[in-house]
Amino acid sequence: MTPSPEGRPEETDMELIDRWKAGDSRAATRLVGRHSQALARFAASAGEREGIEELVQDTFIRAFASLDSFRGASTLRTWLFTIERRLMLDRRRAERRSRETVPVQEADHVSEYGALDNLIAEEAQERVRKSLDALSPTQREVFTLRVQQGLSYKEIAEVVGSTEGAARVHYHNAIQTVKEFLRDE
Amino acid sequence: MNKCTDSDIQELLPDLLHGALAEAEKARVDAHVATCESCQEDLDVLRTVKSAAVFAPSIDVDRVVRQIPPYRAIVPAVEAPARTRVASWLVAATIALFVVGGGSVLMTRQNSSGSSVVDGGAKSTQQIAITQPSAASKAPAAALNPRIAQQSTAAHPHALALAAEADGLSDGGLVQLMNDMDTFDALPGSESDPVISVDSGDSL
Repeated sequence: MTPSPEGRPEETDMELIDRWKAGDSRAATRLVGRHSQALARFAASAGEREGIEELVQDTFIRAFASLDSFRGASTLRTWLFTIERRLMLDRRRAERRSRETVPVQEADHVSEYGALDNLIAEEAQERVRKSLDALSPTQREVFTLRVQQGLSYKEIAEVVGSTEGAARVHYHNAIQTVKEFLRDE
Repeated sequence: MNKCTDSDIQELLPDLLHGALAEAEKARVDAHVATCESCQEDLDVLRTVKSAAVFAPSIDVDRVVRQIPPYRAIVPAVEAPARTRVASWLVAATIALFVVGGGSVLMTRQNSSGSSVVDGGAKSTQQIAITQPSAASKAPAAALNPRIAQQSTAAHPHALALAAEADGLSDGGLVQLMNDMDTFDALPGSESDPVISVDSGDSL
């Protein structure tokens, strides 16, 4: 249990979950506040450009609806990443299906890139984004979970539904690609 | 620049970045990085990637929390005790017996009255329509449509359609049905009645 800024010991996720189950809605606020930005960063790093807040919201709604199935074998954040990743995959499948049936309008390209330009203000961020775009989807997930979220290989394997060994290989290949990309830029 | 061959150290660089290493391990990694250009470059890349993750939108926590439904404990489904299940089967079997038995009794009564014993074929017990002669023309439709059957029954107190309605009768309803059968005038069946051949010989 880590101390809070006020000096009081910080409640663990499991303690907050128990409080929420007992009817304390402030516990939900604490849990969402603790993990929502990490979920937003993961979604952005994984390539999501729009609707990140809705994605995070859906992740929490699903998670809270099935908290009884969370036993604490992994950390709550790892479990939330797993739920969010499934939602992202569902969303991408749905987008692929709609792309197959509805032709993308030229105006959509313009607005999408316009919004993206606003989001990426600094040149370094743009370079990193491009280097991450050069990775395969799985490499990208493993790399950002490891570097930006600080998850262990075991936790990453759980999130992406793979093995620790495979996660290590993905990380190794990803950092080589990113390094070469940034060196060539 | 020589490529680093210490994959163990390389894999720990993100943990160094996040301050997740124990003191002794941190000292070991720090010592290696101080002399390894390849790992220094890796660490620079990792710092750049980590700091570039700021373009994620900030999340309105209160808005998210408002969408979360209140907690509901999942109550595991309790399996019905075996005794109850046996009792249910007994009730179902009894009802089935009443329905089948009722049809048989009806056929027997029709046959014994000698009203419509015709050679060949079999009488359907599923769509027997029993009503007064005046309602005879409505009977086939009533047998197929429960609503018509209800109207027919209301108009003629002794009228009854067995087809779809029999399944929904309670035990009491079935008993009442059996009692009422005595007073009903049966319609001629849509199919010919079975022939009961009686040997005059001494085969029995």
